Amino acid sequence: MGNIFPRWLNFLPLQVLIALGGVGTLIVAVIWYSFTPKYTRVGYEPQQPIPFDHSLHAGQLGMDCRYCHSNVEESSHSNIPNAQVCWNCHGPGKVKSDSPKLAVLRQAMDTNSDGYTGEPIRWVQIHETPDYAYFNHSAHVNRGVSCVECHGKVNEMAVVSHQKPLSMGFCLDCHRNPESRLRPIDEITNLDWTAHDLDRDEFYAYLAGKTGKSADELKAEGPEKIDQEALGAYLKDAWNIHPPQDCAACHR
Amino acid sequence: MRWFFLILFAIAVMLAVGIGPRGEKFTKPPLYVFPDMDWQYKLKFQKPSDFFADGQGARRPVDGTIPLGYDLPLTEDDFPVGDTYYRTGLFGDFYGDGMPDAVAVDEKLLMRGKERYQIYCTACHGTSGNGQGVVSKYWQIPPTANLLDPRVAGLPDGQIFWTITHGKGLMGPYNGAVPIEDRWAITAYVRVLQGAAAAK
Repeated sequence: MGNIFPRWLNFLPLQVLIALGGVGTLIVAVIWYSFTPKYTRVGYEPQQPIPFDHSLHAGQLGMDCRYCHSNVEESSHSNIPNAQVCWNCHGPGKVKSDSPKLAVLRQAMDTNSDGYTGEPIRWVQIHETPDYAYFNHSAHVNRGVSCVECHGKVNEMAVVSHQKPLSMGFCLDCHRNPESRLRPIDEITNLDWTAHDLDRDEFYAYLAGKTGKSADELKAEGPEKIDQEALGAYLKDAWNIHPPQDCAACHR
Repeated sequence: MRWFFLILFAIAVMLAVGIGPRGEKFTKPPLYVFPDMDWQYKLKFQKPSDFFADGQGARRPVDGTIPLGYDLPLTEDDFPVGDTYYRTGLFGDFYGDGMPDAVAVDEKLLMRGKERYQIYCTACHGTSGNGQGVVSKYWQIPPTANLLDPRVAGLPDGQIFWTITHGKGLMGPYNGAVPIEDRWAITAYVRVLQGAAAAK
């Protein structure tokens, strides 16, 4: 009676284990890399009904974000402008009013145009939090968090794309360490601003108006060179900023 | 076993190529891996709604009402009570002059006016108000009003407010984007610009 099982079968359990390990590693790697907003959302660049060029309007012309997104300081929602706002500059006899790119705008606004519908322009939302997360724009822009922290340098984008993951971890990074993001409120919409642009005297004069201490007093206490961390620490203290980290801060 | 690893490696390479790096540009709506409760059936800002006949989620207030805590851009016809000069810049059929009682002209108001002016007005009227904004640099459109002109300086406050509200000539109405108190703040700041130009 010979051997029923060949010799190589002794190694089969080990081989199966190694194979399962290899397959498992591959599956985990794929999920780890791609089941995150860093992969699924960053880079989203939908085609809009009108190819509005932010790098032209906000960059080259230097228009303030709030010219169009006018409710951002008052409302939890940063509004997409109504067609009237576009029409203020692109109406008949004004800038590029005959451009074929603006056909959708004319259909919404110009009763004399071909195919006038009066329908709102259906802009495609790019940055979107889930319906159970309640992000409040006004709470952030009125406390020194710039547009650029979540939306990237929109003033350099010819076509706006999703730049930051806007995942919950992304929110918490900043809520745990707000010093690295806070800036003076009048620089909120200046997307190219950095803390090094800040003049020391100007900064303390500005802060004096907010805190009730005199500028010289603050200057004596303050650091020699203003970098983002020092500025952020000051603003956090001066404005009594304590970003909530409990669930109910954003979810209700 | 060797074959198995070769095939596994080939699959890994194919997956890596198929998935691609993070941050790559794409135009199709993003993939939702866990879409639980991401889209709830409720009214959302500036979103369509199939609940209402006109398909719009945004609703107007019921006729003759104002939501608590809001100051809507209304005219006298919409809501004929309260301080009409504050909301229209008019006394009857005439432009009023001077600031309404509800608006205290102080440094805070002027700083607010400066900020709002630089957001909404500078593109055409220029930072100094001389009508040479960035628009005139790039495009040939009929000249923008020079706010420092004695003609404009002589206009009553109510007319400046009314013009911001309703527009004039090529200028569009700004009643949607700029709330009433900010329009008065801008009016006050335009007076500051005019005073500074006259003093030169």
